[in-house]
Amino acid sequence: MDSFLTAFFSGTSQGAIYALVSLGLVLVWRGAGVVNFAQMGQAMFTTYIASQLIQNDYSYWSAFVIALVSGAILGAIVDLGLMRPLTSRKNSQLLNSQSMRTTIPVIASLGILGVLKAVAGILWAGEERGFPSPIAANALTIGDTTLAITGFDLFVIGVVFVTLVLTTIFFTRTGMGLAMRASALNPEVTRLSGIRVGSVRTLSWAISGTASSLAGLLVTPKTNLSPNTLDLLLIVGFTAAVVGGLNSLAGSVLGGFIVGYVIAFVNVYSAPENVFLAILVFLLLALFIRPQGILGSKEVRRV
Amino acid sequence: MLIISNLVTEFASIKALNDISFQAKPGCITTVIGANGAGKSTLLRTISGLERPTSGSIKWFDEELTHKSVESIVRSGIAQVPEGHAVISQLSVAENIELGGLFRKRIARGDLAIATKEVYELFPILFERRREPAGSLSGGERQMLAISRALVSRPKLLLLDEPSLGLAPLISAQIISTVNELCKSTGLTVLLVEQNANTALAVADHGILLALGKVIANLPAKELIADSSLRAAYLGY
Amino acid sequence: MSKVKTHKVIGARSTRLAIIFFIFILLLSMQFDPYNQYQLANISTLLIAVLSITLLTGASGQISLGQGAIMAVGGYSSALLVTKLGLSMWIAFVLAIFVSALFGLFLGLAAARLSGPYLAGTTLVMALAIPSVAIRFESLFGGDIGFTVDYGYPPNWLTNLIGEISIEEWSLYVALPFAALSLFAVLNLSNTRSGRTWRAVRDNEVAAALAGINIARTKVIAFVCASALAGLAGAIYGFRGLVGPSVYSTDLSLLLLTAAVIGGLRSIGGAIFGTFVIVFLPDVIERITKALALPETISNYLPALLIGFLLLLTVIFNPRGSAGALEHIRHARHSHKH
Repeated sequence: MDSFLTAFFSGTSQGAIYALVSLGLVLVWRGAGVVNFAQMGQAMFTTYIASQLIQNDYSYWSAFVIALVSGAILGAIVDLGLMRPLTSRKNSQLLNSQSMRTTIPVIASLGILGVLKAVAGILWAGEERGFPSPIAANALTIGDTTLAITGFDLFVIGVVFVTLVLTTIFFTRTGMGLAMRASALNPEVTRLSGIRVGSVRTLSWAISGTASSLAGLLVTPKTNLSPNTLDLLLIVGFTAAVVGGLNSLAGSVLGGFIVGYVIAFVNVYSAPENVFLAILVFLLLALFIRPQGILGSKEVRRV
Repeated sequence: MLIISNLVTEFASIKALNDISFQAKPGCITTVIGANGAGKSTLLRTISGLERPTSGSIKWFDEELTHKSVESIVRSGIAQVPEGHAVISQLSVAENIELGGLFRKRIARGDLAIATKEVYELFPILFERRREPAGSLSGGERQMLAISRALVSRPKLLLLDEPSLGLAPLISAQIISTVNELCKSTGLTVLLVEQNANTALAVADHGILLALGKVIANLPAKELIADSSLRAAYLGY
Repeated sequence: MSKVKTHKVIGARSTRLAIIFFIFILLLSMQFDPYNQYQLANISTLLIAVLSITLLTGASGQISLGQGAIMAVGGYSSALLVTKLGLSMWIAFVLAIFVSALFGLFLGLAAARLSGPYLAGTTLVMALAIPSVAIRFESLFGGDIGFTVDYGYPPNWLTNLIGEISIEEWSLYVALPFAALSLFAVLNLSNTRSGRTWRAVRDNEVAAALAGINIARTKVIAFVCASALAGLAGAIYGFRGLVGPSVYSTDLSLLLLTAAVIGGLRSIGGAIFGTFVIVFLPDVIERITKALALPETISNYLPALLIGFLLLLTVIFNPRGSAGALEHIRHARHSHKH
């Protein structure tokens, strides 16, 4: 029972972080038709910014906010500076080819990932460093019973929960949210409604940047920070997005939690070195059994 | 007044529109007819900015539209209802309508509410089904929704691309007569593209016959209806 | 009749090009010190892997970020055959080709269902899972460490023929013939009917299907051919000294993709150029950083930074790679004359 609770709580708090990563991936995939392999590279970079600020005696919370804002800016820069010019060029012979239209952005995002990692390595020496958490990571106790959850876990779950609620309100209750959903579903009708689809697209890159930046801030107190630490998070987030449905925002969050539990239970009941194998098997199973994802619709994948 | 002069639109050096010139008068329906591939949709898509013309010009009164972006063309009062009942089927009916007026939300919130109320009055069935996804509507209802989405932006010029496509004659006649009443009551200018000439020309003031990207005839609608030899030659009936 | 004739002509052309490559590298190695001879051996080995990407992504339009994983299949299978069954290295290399082709068949069956980013992500996860597999089945795959293997000694007839052979030269002599053969195979393949079929599927699946091409089968065949090449490259790469999880890292997978992209995904000459760049660029940079006495933090990350920038600049300014740029210049000159 004890190990079950341990797995359950760690699955929930880790799953919450995976949900953010997967949400970020899905936002850009829906909005721009690109799976952004540089996403966690961007998050790594903004987490380094926060870490640098904290070293320079800024408070945790001001560093936290600045990291989120720089995540948004970095996302917007990637879109405006690279992805938009890449995908809007009509005459390139290579882009006339169906498969190349999806391949080129993937390669471009890998290029950004490489550059970000190298720049972070040069600026911050590249060796692993710790990243503080605002709340002690001690197990909580009630009386003399020690619970299987730490204060930091609760903090993570709370922050992600608030983020998801705000995101839901943004998408379902605001005009900008409606514009984002509409441009993802049907860019032409949306443009004909007078909405600047290009700007909406940049906004989805920015929101995705913020979400992944938040994931970086929440995961590094446990994993430490180095140019490569967040690579695994991208893979897990990708798996979560595929499991939930690459074109469904709700699905991406659900997928994040499912993958969180799978990893936590494999970790507790099997061995940590089996985690990767489990992810691969889980991803392949998902692709074969339900390639459109749990909450995804079929048509969009057929592009 | 929509003034189109010497408009040419090319796809890979094939001229889909070849030197088109005509005018559409305010408060009137101008109908463009022609067989499949005559360039009718390309004409509307070029006016709304979805396609870039190679040469020629498109003017709305004194305003040059030729090289503006789709978004700014829509914002200057020109709304297109694209072919095939283009609504966003995953969004609800109300959201589709909201989308059409979204860009005016900050500048004219009050008028937006009125415009929304007006389209619901025009098509009461949409009000009844406003919470349902647009994908669950029938073909005719979707066309009504597509037109409503355009109307909430309070356009001065409405571009309708084959609204009767795939609809029962009775329903398409009803939709076209609603549009006709709207023109007469509000002074809306309508450019209507149809393959099926009869109903479309019956409500129109002016008719243009298009074939292989060229204007073959530019006549008052009544004369075009009467000219059976032109129709036989270019439309086959 | 005419079809047979073109095949013969193409066969002759690719034979010629493969022989030119072989002789060029050989002549180059005679000018080089042992270290650079070793780098040439690396180029020959990695070229085979880069060609597998040229084939898979450039010719058939499927993107793989886990080519290193397929190399691992080739490496591990040949290492197992040599260490557990005592087979000769050469036979193990050939068998490794078949094992990786078989692996590619299964992978291709899965991949045929996946488009662009799905395939990219899945192959990346696969590449990252290699260490887990090696550790999970430690008794078979040797866990974290893997297997120590080497090219052995050059045979007597060869030393009798050309005299003393250094370790570096021997590794080049092992890799180079395979590289030339792979070059020959890929050159031939891309000019035959199946090459054209692949390109049709790559550029427009719907049109290709309407032309009667079996899309899924075409994609699977491309995967099998590319995996056979990658497996061979992995086997030769591993026998430099070690077959283990650290050898076939995701960094290797991405480096190979980079080579294929900066050279030009669709060009075989580009693959050769790109392989030269990824092997020699770090050396060149090291020389520069030493000359400029740059701090270590910069010199450590400078190769990665430059390769990343090179990748970005290629996709931004010339997605067809260096081969495309050459063609462009040639084209411009041509039209200038007229």
